[in-house]
Amino acid sequence: MTDIHHPATSRTPAVTLNKETAHLLIEGESYPEDVTGFYAPIFQSLEAFFSAGNQRMNIDIKLIYFNSSSARALTELLDIMDSHAAKGASITIRWFCDHDDDVTREFAEDVAMEMENLTIAVIDLNHDG
Amino acid sequence: MEFDRFHQFGTLLLHDAFVLSYSGYVTEDILEAVGSTLRARLADHTASPRQIRNVFSIFVELMQNVIRYGTEGPQPPGLLGNRESFGLVMVCQNGTCMDILSGNYISKKSAGKMRRRVEFLNDKTPAELRKIYQSRLRQPPEFDSKGASIGLIEIARRSSMPLQYETRDVDEGLCFFMVKASVERSS
Repeated sequence: MTDIHHPATSRTPAVTLNKETAHLLIEGESYPEDVTGFYAPIFQSLEAFFSAGNQRMNIDIKLIYFNSSSARALTELLDIMDSHAAKGASITIRWFCDHDDDVTREFAEDVAMEMENLTIAVIDLNHDG
Repeated sequence: MEFDRFHQFGTLLLHDAFVLSYSGYVTEDILEAVGSTLRARLADHTASPRQIRNVFSIFVELMQNVIRYGTEGPQPPGLLGNRESFGLVMVCQNGTCMDILSGNYISKKSAGKMRRRVEFLNDKTPAELRKIYQSRLRQPPEFDSKGASIGLIEIARRSSMPLQYETRDVDEGLCFFMVKASVERSS
């Protein structure tokens, strides 16, 4: 098991998974050509992390823009985390949304509502003006 | 192309407060290149980050729709590999609004399906669209027996006005399908 350090590209976010600190950061743009190809290995790493007996994970989502296919992938990520939380893992999720991006904030709030065992903090990134 | 038609074409594009257009075969690389150009151009046209975000988001979903469904149209001569997606996209300023239009060739059968999807979404309130979006997230991407794909719902949510569409017949089985979304500066 290795950490993940994907640098951001114009269409894919920077992804940093640090197993030592139990922290995953997804930051930047997300409209990959192949959404599944991009996100599936990250989900696999997370599954391996929990299978190895780890019980803790903090995730920060800081996406400037993501398309509808990425919204599906994010939902899948949070469903996976919800299932681990149900088994007793201690997971915190912080989702940072631009203040004026109603659609994204509503999406984050709606996904958060659907989680049974997981608390998602939807945080407003304030902008001037 | 003869010079008269070429000049006409150029004049046409300058007529509206035109931000950007692309016409031709659309690939993921084109989407990325035109998308980043669009973002830069939008910053020259509007100071509203919200308007830029919504226009860019609609643009990406429309282009990805063209990539996915635009293969039913005319093909480049001598094509050996997969079918190419042909499409046309234009962003222009219309008062305080930014209009995004896209067009591509599709079978009349697909056009009928698209028409039903757009009308289904246009009947909905923003709160209903929000609910439909959420309910589609865990369904397979091509779930389309009724309602609409998640991309089209995204477009409907970010458009300030109901989506407009028109078709022009090409031949017995094929038509050119056009759709227009519009983003208000203050929305």
